[in-house]
Amino acid sequence: MDYIRDFFINFAHSWTTWISGGLPGWAVTVVNFLLGGLILVMMPVIATLALTWMERKVIGRIQNRLGPNRVGPWGIFQAIADAVKMLIKEDIIPDRADRPVFNLAPILIFVGAAMLWAVIPFGRRMIGQDLNIGALYVVAIGSITTVAVLMAGWASNNKFALIGAFRVVAQLLSYEIPMVLSIGVVVLVVGSMRMGTIVESQWVPFCLVLPVAFITYVLAAIAETGRAPFDLLEADSEIVAGYFVEYSGLKFGWFYIAEYGNLMAVSAITTTLFLGGWRGPFAGAAPVLGPLYFIIKTVLVIFVLMWIRGTLPRFRIDQMLAFAWKVLVPAALVNLLWVAAALKLPVPQAVQYAVMLVGNLAILGVTLTLLGQSAKQHAKRHGLAGA
Amino acid sequence: MTDTMTSALPFNDAIPGAVLETTPNGLVVAAEKLPELARHLRDQQGYDYLAMVTSVDWPQYLEVVYYLCGVAQPKPGLVLKVRLSDKANPVVPSVIDIWPGADFQEREVYDMMGIRFEGHPNLRRILLWEGFAGWPLRKDYRESYYEEDTKPLKSRHPDGSHLWAEDRVPWKDNVTYPVGVDPDLWVSPQVQYRRIMGVDQGGNGSSLNTERVLVNMGPQHPSTHGVFRMVLAIEGENVVGLEPEMGYLHRCHEKIGERNTYLMNIPFTDRLDYISSMSNNLGYVLAVEKLMGLQVPERADYIRVIMAEFTRIVSHFIAVGFLFNDLGAYFTPALYGVRERELILDLFEAASGSRMMCNYMRFGGVSADLPEGWIKRARETVWDRLPRVLGDFETLLSGNEIFLARAKGVGHLSAQDAVAYSMAGPMLRASGVPYDLRKAAPYSIYDRFDFDVCSRPEGDVWARFRVRMDEIYQSLRILKQALDGIPEGPILAGKKQYQMRVPAGEAYSRIEGPKGELGFFVVSDGKANPYRYHVRAPTFINLTSLEKMCIGHKIADSVVILGAIDIVLGEVDR
Repeated sequence: MDYIRDFFINFAHSWTTWISGGLPGWAVTVVNFLLGGLILVMMPVIATLALTWMERKVIGRIQNRLGPNRVGPWGIFQAIADAVKMLIKEDIIPDRADRPVFNLAPILIFVGAAMLWAVIPFGRRMIGQDLNIGALYVVAIGSITTVAVLMAGWASNNKFALIGAFRVVAQLLSYEIPMVLSIGVVVLVVGSMRMGTIVESQWVPFCLVLPVAFITYVLAAIAETGRAPFDLLEADSEIVAGYFVEYSGLKFGWFYIAEYGNLMAVSAITTTLFLGGWRGPFAGAAPVLGPLYFIIKTVLVIFVLMWIRGTLPRFRIDQMLAFAWKVLVPAALVNLLWVAAALKLPVPQAVQYAVMLVGNLAILGVTLTLLGQSAKQHAKRHGLAGA
Repeated sequence: MTDTMTSALPFNDAIPGAVLETTPNGLVVAAEKLPELARHLRDQQGYDYLAMVTSVDWPQYLEVVYYLCGVAQPKPGLVLKVRLSDKANPVVPSVIDIWPGADFQEREVYDMMGIRFEGHPNLRRILLWEGFAGWPLRKDYRESYYEEDTKPLKSRHPDGSHLWAEDRVPWKDNVTYPVGVDPDLWVSPQVQYRRIMGVDQGGNGSSLNTERVLVNMGPQHPSTHGVFRMVLAIEGENVVGLEPEMGYLHRCHEKIGERNTYLMNIPFTDRLDYISSMSNNLGYVLAVEKLMGLQVPERADYIRVIMAEFTRIVSHFIAVGFLFNDLGAYFTPALYGVRERELILDLFEAASGSRMMCNYMRFGGVSADLPEGWIKRARETVWDRLPRVLGDFETLLSGNEIFLARAKGVGHLSAQDAVAYSMAGPMLRASGVPYDLRKAAPYSIYDRFDFDVCSRPEGDVWARFRVRMDEIYQSLRILKQALDGIPEGPILAGKKQYQMRVPAGEAYSRIEGPKGELGFFVVSDGKANPYRYHVRAPTFINLTSLEKMCIGHKIADSVVILGAIDIVLGEVDR
């Protein structure tokens, strides 16, 4: 029973004990690291297979359709069929493309998506590498995407791809700042960048304490993953597919995998930072429940992102950059300031949290009021009725 | 011609010698006096709207036909005709300075008939490709697989059995090339978009050193609503020039229409704007009925109005849904619109036997009576279902902040510009011009119904969305009155027949199609086939103002502005 209660950790211990019987110490380490790396690298692929099916089902329901229902029960093998199709497609490299860069971009973008998984805690002590700079690592690795996308857009020798790449640079750089600022708030409260510690110190999920940081992070994360309503980098109705318009076959597949891998990673990080990670009822007594809670929370976040995608139209580039610089960045900065001040109060932690919550709600209220007023003024300036 | 006769001619006092002759079908105008007369008509006489420009190839001369009417103060139509007896080198002064809406229409006349318009800044082929040889709508033009001037072709039914011409004629056997043309050596001519690249103006005129980039949006692009190409000149994300390129779906509808008999053309009009085939049928049969002088039974008139209004609802649902698609809403509103369309298409199918290509109207009535229970189903749709769905649309779409931010103030077109550019339908009304042919020049039995003309002063994408939504409510009002008032009785004047006797003459019928003024210009010489058959395609002419609306906006906006015009390529390219 005890074995079952913390199944994953105990299983790992048994495995290590078993292979230690025949191998020297350094070889055990090498084997274990390779195995762990393999599992983490597989995560984006698994995410793609699961999430494409889920996305098509969810959006199908939103759109009064059934979604895939031909390949296997409830169409669950649709993703496999799509993967096979993608594998056997012709790999086309456009004339006058910058070949080395063109070929390198899909690899790089996949590497970025896979490396994010190293610091995500699936459960207590279930983490690839609990770096003491985990949160910083997430931000740093997230920036690799920008480089890869710019490479893809430039090397394709295609105007749509280039416009997509321009947009990516503008968008990702702008949204990196509110994202870092909202992660900074969490780090400040916890006092550590270690992802494991961040989860363990959330006796109340931070989304209830720091709603502004939570909302800012989710918005910035949607923009970072390039999903609706911020999917300008691959806006299908404007620039066809943006930076990966010239990719086909498996290379396109890498972009696809990276997109869904990023989606899942971002949802997992949201869960870790703001939703209490693997914490939940009885997770302390039975750590085997941890990964279950973690997956449920992550899927919930993903569902919300899919819901947004299925229902909202897209922003325009100037509106979206204005939103980042004029709304998100100031709100996140004020929030950071308030939280830093609240932490200095000589009161118990619960009171500090209450102070933070009050401040957050005030920031939220002021931001929304200002937004509404500016929309009204804009309408008045342009002599538009309604609004 | 004596002096007394000359002075009796209209407008002779203002522009002496401009009008040469009055005919029952319009005023014959001297070519060199045309711009002067046109300016006078626009400024002094109130003919501010150029409804249609087309041309007819008569045995002795080529004739350019202009249909004018007044929009600011509604006036009955005025027809100007310019006759050009030099068929080898026909030249007319362009009226593009007076009515910018003549732009594409003059290019089309040049493309099809070879008439050059002096002073037109961009006189290129528009529907056909650069390098095409010949003028297809001239009577002496013979297309590939040409057999006879008119259908039915005798070769298709030898000894009463059926044989396809393509089976009988080996490929290319009667394809002829002009002297000196070898198709294998042919190189596509380069079209230089000098104008939108700013080459003629000498750079972009700004001190900032930026480079203009040409981007081809389409013909294979997900949001051009078919095979349409926009050549965008962009600086960064800003659109600084735009040139529409069309004709990828061109099949020379009008030439085929001249080969067909009158009856054969009815199903052919279905293929114009394939979203709203019933309206196309109605426009065409009204034109031919005008020539024949047919009276339509009352029940048939009611059925026609019911079908036309259902078509308007279908078309507007599609337009609104796909506008959101262009905004990036990932098909959800579009599919909600398509769902309602399917339910209305069920009604069309029950009445006509076909969902999209209805082929339902006939000269003097409709082809079949409404089946048992049809009225009941239609009533359920009109009274219960559609108002509920419209409520959903209002709550889900009309108040969406992103939509408002994207649509308000985008693609602005003032009322003056809208009239000058010959905009029609929701595009015109969204610019603050309450002009609806159902009120301004009632056709069929529209004068019996009580409804409002929907108009908005803003002139932007949001206004176009709003006008379409409001028009659905008005269509429901008309439908309620029509379904309540539909009488019993015959549905066709006379008996069904294959061959019509259409007396010689010409007729232009205008109806308020879902996308604008849908006009059919039919010229008969008394034979079994129309001598000339021209379609005034509303979306084709609405595209004239696309560049004006897009310049200064972002790439993303140009897609939305195009979506708000609601083009259907079957009609644009004909």
